[in-house]
Amino acid sequence: MKDIKRALSIASPLALLLLWEVLARIPSRLTHFVAPPSLVMVTVWQMALTGELWQHMGWSFLRVMLGFAAGALPGIAVGLMMGLIPTVRAALQPIVAATLPIPKTALLPWIILLLGVGESSRVTIIGIGVFFLVLVNTMAGVMGIDPIYLDVGRNFGARGWRFYRTIAFPGALPTIFAGLKLGLGTAYLLIVFAEQIGVREGVGYLIWQAYDTFDIERMFAGLLLTSLLGFLSMTALSALERRWVPWRS
Amino acid sequence: MEVMSSGMAHAKEDDEAAERIAGGRPCDAVPKIRLRGVTKAFAGPSGEVTALQDISLDIADGEFVCLVGPSGCGKTTLLRILAGLEKQTTGAVDVRRADGDRPLSRMVFQEQSILPWMTVEQNVAYGLSMRGVDRKRQKAIVAHYLEMTGLGRFATSYPHQLSGGMKQRVSVARAFADDPEILLMDEPFASLDEQNRLLLQQELLRIWEGTQKTVVFITHSIDEAINLGDRLLVMTAYPGRLKAIVDVPLTRPRDVTETRADPRASRLYMEVWRQLRDEVLKAKVGGEGIRPAPAGNRA
Ligand SMILES: Nc1ncnc2c1ncn2[C@@H]1O[C@H](COP(=O)(O)OP(=O)(O)OP(=O)(O)O)[C@@H](O)[C@H]1O
Ligand SMILES: [Mg+2]
Repeated sequence: MKDIKRALSIASPLALLLLWEVLARIPSRLTHFVAPPSLVMVTVWQMALTGELWQHMGWSFLRVMLGFAAGALPGIAVGLMMGLIPTVRAALQPIVAATLPIPKTALLPWIILLLGVGESSRVTIIGIGVFFLVLVNTMAGVMGIDPIYLDVGRNFGARGWRFYRTIAFPGALPTIFAGLKLGLGTAYLLIVFAEQIGVREGVGYLIWQAYDTFDIERMFAGLLLTSLLGFLSMTALSALERRWVPWRS
Repeated sequence: MEVMSSGMAHAKEDDEAAERIAGGRPCDAVPKIRLRGVTKAFAGPSGEVTALQDISLDIADGEFVCLVGPSGCGKTTLLRILAGLEKQTTGAVDVRRADGDRPLSRMVFQEQSILPWMTVEQNVAYGLSMRGVDRKRQKAIVAHYLEMTGLGRFATSYPHQLSGGMKQRVSVARAFADDPEILLMDEPFASLDEQNRLLLQQELLRIWEGTQKTVVFITHSIDEAINLGDRLLVMTAYPGRLKAIVDVPLTRPRDVTETRADPRASRLYMEVWRQLRDEVLKAKVGGEGIRPAPAGNRA
C-alpha cells in the first residue's frame, strides 16, 4: 500500500509533465504561449553554461535575504515587546492595524521616489512585507504562551533581557516560525514585482525581460528558477525550525 | 541541625494563644512570614469571587507548614500571594528576607510548569542560571538533584518525552536546586506513585532538616501533611479562611514509613479528617449559599 502511494506520488507529476510536453508540441494556438518542458530545460541548461543563471538566482537570493533579515529582526523585536508589554501594545496596535492592510506592492512607486531605483528600494519593500507578517505572528505567539510559564520566569528571577531570552522568545518561537514562512513566501512574491524596473539581473528581471521579447522559453525558465529559489529557501527555513524548535515533535 | 527542632519548639502551652489570635502563632523571634487580614477577591463572570478571607498567620523561620483544605478553597491563591505572583486585595503580607545571595522563595507549581523548550537539566538549572551561578557549580548542583529525583538518565530529554510524574519531579528538582529561603510547594507529589511519593517526602525532610528552609506545603493527603509538617493549617471551604491550626506532635528527624505506624499520627489523622470532612461536604453543597467556582479552573 505504501509502495503504491509512493509510486503514485512520483507518477502523477511525471504524467502531467508528459501531457504538457505533448500538448505544447501539437501545433495550435496554445503553442505560442506554452513552452514544452524539454525546451525549458534546454534553456535553463544553456543559461547555466553561460553563467547567466547563477547571476539571476544569486542576485534575487541576495535581495530576498537582505530584505528578509531587515524585516524579520525588527519584526521579532517589536512583536515580542507588543506581546509582553500592554502599554506598548496599546500604543502601537492602532498603527499596525492601520498600515497592515496596505498592499505592499502599492508602496513600491513611493519607495522608489523616496530611495531611487537602486537596491535599497527593493530590499526595503521586501523588508516591509516581511516585517508586518513576522510582527503580527510574534505578538500572537507571545500572547499565546501559557501564563504558567510567565509565572515560572518571574518566580525564578528572570528579569528584563533574560525574561525575553528564556521565556518570551522560545515560547513564541513556533509561531514566529509560522510568521517567517509566510514572510518568506511574500518576499518571493515581492522580488518578482520589484525586479520589474531598474535591474539587469534577477529572476524577476528574467521573467519581465522575456515578456518584453515574447520569449516564452525564457519566461518559463524564470518561473522555474523562482520556484526553485523559493523551495530551497523554504526547505532551509524548515530545517532551521527543526533545529531551533526541537521540543516540538 | 537546630532547625530540626524548630517546629517542636512550640510546646503545648502555645496552643491556646495560637487559637486566640485565629491562626497567628506568637513567635519568639520575628516570623519569617506574617499575614494580617489577608483577603483576595477575583473578578468572576458572575460577580466577585472571594478566594481568601481574613487570613492572619505567622510562620516561623525554618518551620514546615502544611496547608490542607477542600478543592477550590484558595490554597494555591495563598501560595501565589506568598510568592509575589498575586497581590492580595486587602491585608498585609510580610515576607522577611535573611540573605541577599539566596533567592527568597521558589515555587513548585500545581500544574505542569516545566519549560517545554528546555531540556530536563536546563530546566533544573533555570533558577541558578538566572542568578548567574557559574557553569561548573550549576552542573554539579543539577547532577545532584537529578540523581535525587531519579532523572539522571533523562538529563538531556525534553519535557514532551517525559511522563506526568517525571515532569513533576523536574519541577521539584528545579525548586530545590535554586536553594531558596522559602520553598512553596503546591501539591508537588500529587501525580507520583506511592513509592516515589514516600521517597521524595523523605528526601524533602532530609533537605529541610539540613538547610534551615521555611516550607509551605499544600497537599490533599492528610497522611502526607502529618508525615511532613510541624503544623497543619486547615482551611474552610469557600471562601477560604483558616479553620484550625493543628500541631504535629511527632519528633524530628522523622522517618515517613515509621510515622505511619505511630499511634499519635493516626489520632491526628482522625482529628484533621473530622475538621476537613465538614468543609468538603460544605463545598459540595455550595457552602454559605454561594456557588464556589469549579475547582482547578485555572489549570
Ligand atoms: N485568576 C483567577 N481568576 C478568577 N478566579 C480565580 C483565579 N484564581 C483562582 N480563582 C478562584 O479562587 C478560588 C480558589 O482557587 P485556588 O486555585 O486557590 O484553589 P485551591 O485551594 O488551590 O484548589 P485545588 O485544591 O483544587 O487546587 C477558586 O474559587 C477559583 O475559582
Ligand atoms: Mg490549588
